[in-house]
Amino acid sequence: MNRLQANICLLCVTLCWSAEIILFACIPAGVPAFATTCATTFAGSALLAVSFRRRVAAALSSGGWKFPASALLLAALSTSYNTLFLVGVKSFDVASGAFTFCMTVVVLPVVLLSLRRRVAPATWISVVLVLAGICLALGPSLRRTHLPGLAIMAVGCLLRAVQIVLLADLVKKHDPIAVAVLVQGFSSVLALGGWAIQDPRLFAGLPVSRALVAAWALYAYFVVAFAQCLNVFAMRRVTAANATVVYSVEIVFSLLWGVFLPEGIVERVVLTPAVAIGALLVVAGSVAEIADFRGLRRAAEGGAP
Amino acid sequence: MSRRRAAVAALVRFLALVGIYLVAAVPFRTMSLITGFTDVRPVTAIAPVYAVFFGPLGCLAVAFGNLGADAVSASLRWTSIAGFAANFLGPLLVWYYWTRLSRTPFALRTVGELFRHSLAVAAMAFLEMVIIAPAVALVYPDVDAAYFALTVFLNTSAFPVFFGIPLAILLQEELGFLPLPPRRAPSKEKEAG
Repeated sequence: MNRLQANICLLCVTLCWSAEIILFACIPAGVPAFATTCATTFAGSALLAVSFRRRVAAALSSGGWKFPASALLLAALSTSYNTLFLVGVKSFDVASGAFTFCMTVVVLPVVLLSLRRRVAPATWISVVLVLAGICLALGPSLRRTHLPGLAIMAVGCLLRAVQIVLLADLVKKHDPIAVAVLVQGFSSVLALGGWAIQDPRLFAGLPVSRALVAAWALYAYFVVAFAQCLNVFAMRRVTAANATVVYSVEIVFSLLWGVFLPEGIVERVVLTPAVAIGALLVVAGSVAEIADFRGLRRAAEGGAP
Repeated sequence: MSRRRAAVAALVRFLALVGIYLVAAVPFRTMSLITGFTDVRPVTAIAPVYAVFFGPLGCLAVAFGNLGADAVSASLRWTSIAGFAANFLGPLLVWYYWTRLSRTPFALRTVGELFRHSLAVAAMAFLEMVIIAPAVALVYPDVDAAYFALTVFLNTSAFPVFFGIPLAILLQEELGFLPLPPRRAPSKEKEAG
């Protein structure tokens, strides 16, 4: 997989993640979010584990105890930031909430610098553009009452940035399929814990129906098995900063769903000039990070691209 | 390998391909666009992937998989015959492009290759639309034919581009799947270049 292919795969991952909101709308009311996470991550990781059992077994036997421990840490980080996002996003409307997710791009260089890693100039340019997009879209509507929610989202984004950096490291050391299986498997166990606290009846308390099974199946295929598989393989070929900036394009997909899909599926988004220009700045930030300007210049000068 | 063993291996592969298609197709039958006729079908992403990696056998698996999904979701109609033909011939067009018309083997490594594959997928979607939509308009005049044709075209073009291309990249570049080679060898000048 080359860099162009890796970025296409990451865009597809982002598209799958943005479609989560549509799949959630298909899940019958009264089903806890932890139940959905538990069932779908289990089904997705089981699907991958069965399909690639030899690769997973080989990675586990050669990786030592540190490998599953790292996967558990990643799963814990993932569960933590998802829970924070669920709580924090309630303070905002759909469009503003979607922009707060992009803060991951802004905090990522801080994480990289604290780990004594180099941050490329292109990453700084994209950070400035994405930050400008967030400020433009959020600024006019931000009130003092939003600050607690914004702080929760900022902590969530920080944990997400750490998770992305650690995941990028782990997939470069171990088989990506095994990483996906373990992280999703541990996420399932952690979600089971959260679900048991929320409703100790677990499966007995669920309104089981064909619609629920179908929605969970779709979620397990697309958001867990397919998207995670693409994500771990793509992350082997790009930097954590590159991946994070591509993920920020989720804002564009979320706004498109909010504008074009019927109100029964998603909450409608009113596309104001500030929101539209903010989204364009986020896209510009992505282009600044992933476009190979040096290669294009070399090609224009007649050299090898 | 004897001819008999090769036939058994092909049959097992065909059944596995149909099974994977069915497992992916059936849950989406709940996301209906025109009840009993069409629904949101991300499973169409699989069709060109089957075509380039498994050839006519893969195309046949798509056709039977679609027919099977119609049967298990109680939406089997006379127009399913047109659906069967379209779901075989559409992917076959993609296979034909990459193995008979293209001088280079299937790959999605450059912008040019991505563009060529997207055009082949668009041609596949158009072919499927012109097979299925007139059949539905003829047998069921109550169905809004223009809307139905649009859903067929969007289902069979958008999903194979947005999901099918990353899936094909994953299979070819990371999981070791080999696409079928083109019949026409690359020209010598190109090889030298």
